[in-house]
Amino acid sequence: MLEGASLAVEDGQFVSLVGPSGSGKSSLLRAVIGLQAPLSGTVETGLAPSQVGILFQDDALLPWKTARDNVALGLTLNGAERKAALAQAEAWLARLDLAGFGDRFPRHLSGGQRKRVALAQVLAMKPKLILMDEPFASLDAIVRARVVKDLVALVERENISVLLVTHDLEEALTLSDEIYLLSQGPRARIIQHYAVPIPRPRDPVLSRTHPVFAPLYEKIWADLSREVDHRAEAA
Amino acid sequence: MAPRYTWLRQFAAFLLLLAIWEAAGRAGLLNPLYLPSPSQIAAALVELFADGRIWPHLEATFAAALGGLVLGVAVGVALGVAAALVQLIAELLEPVMTLLNAVPRVILAPLFVIWLGIGLASKIALSFILVAVLIFFTVFTGIRQVDRRIVERVVTLGGDRWALIRHVYLPAVTAWVLSNLKIAVGFAFTGALVGEFVAATHGLGYLLSFAQSTYNAALMFALIFLILVVVLLIFAIAGRLEKYLLRWN
Repeated sequence: MLEGASLAVEDGQFVSLVGPSGSGKSSLLRAVIGLQAPLSGTVETGLAPSQVGILFQDDALLPWKTARDNVALGLTLNGAERKAALAQAEAWLARLDLAGFGDRFPRHLSGGQRKRVALAQVLAMKPKLILMDEPFASLDAIVRARVVKDLVALVERENISVLLVTHDLEEALTLSDEIYLLSQGPRARIIQHYAVPIPRPRDPVLSRTHPVFAPLYEKIWADLSREVDHRAEAA
Repeated sequence: MAPRYTWLRQFAAFLLLLAIWEAAGRAGLLNPLYLPSPSQIAAALVELFADGRIWPHLEATFAAALGGLVLGVAVGVALGVAAALVQLIAELLEPVMTLLNAVPRVILAPLFVIWLGIGLASKIALSFILVAVLIFFTVFTGIRQVDRRIVERVVTLGGDRWALIRHVYLPAVTAWVLSNLKIAVGFAFTGALVGEFVAATHGLGYLLSFAQSTYNAALMFALIFLILVVVLLIFAIAGRLEKYLLRWN
């Protein structure tokens, strides 16, 4: 359970939540998207529900729909004509290097391709805010690097805000403008806030060589370790 | 041995068995009253088709089985979806269906004859009850096992309850029903045949009963063979349908 969480994500900003398991990071995202009601307090996005997208750790594509139909689904559910939705879906698949894969069912796509379809499904809705719950955890390193690079380019170009939940400090640092560190649960809280002054546009791989990366990584790691140790002693 | 010739070896073994059976019959080792030779069974089968008297019986059994199958699937799906989505309906239906599932439902055959007569209706009713209970549990448990992540995905894309039924539950139900279609076909024919066996004026079950009462083992074997072929044919069609509609799987 997470309590007293107060954070804001500005337009076009990439914000990450990092913290130990059980600190309520995923619960926070579920509360923002409306899948879970907060026990108290409110979540204000100032956006229509269709302007907020979410990427889960699992791609959660509908297995009986083709890649094209999966991408078009959100559009048709929000009133788009099926023909126009399919055309848009095809265009988004092409933008994510999946031209020619529209007729394939998820089972017949690789893990990286499925992740791109899930990403296209969210981006096709033209969201202002994307919530990401460790969306790249299931991918191998090379595929992950490629998908992340494409994602960063797209959100920077489209000025999309992102709230990312991750265990991976490197990922948080290379992608984010702001990082919030959560304490160990139960009754977790936001205990630290860090600004990441790596300029944009960013290359997620090259960001690791930026001068602020290593010191900031060490600081967050030290704070995180101290929090985990402190809780272990208290227990 | 090469797996691709498996069917050839199986077919050869079957022919060998038939040959031994035929030879034993011709040598007088088998009493045709109990176990007629393959050629006697084939003759009985040819006779059934040659004089055309088999057609009304085939038609009656098919009508009962397919009628029961269609009604059973439709009602089973409707009740299964309703029970999975509405708790009150589940509370009312589940005990009844569990009871019907626990007992051998063919014991209802005489009751249906009393209620609906010896015509087609009582056979359709028996097929229906056999299929409907199977499909109800298939759909009921199928919907409850639908991946929550897919449901949440559709909800976060803006889907309402109707969208969930259309894009998640119905495709999931179709998959579950299709994967049980062969069993349902078997149940439908069991219902039709048992119903005809109990009381009827037409149908393959009625002919089986007639063959039994006249000690006509050749006719009985011919009918069993015919039923096997018919059901295997429908299995093949159901298999093709399943393969096409579940091509995503």
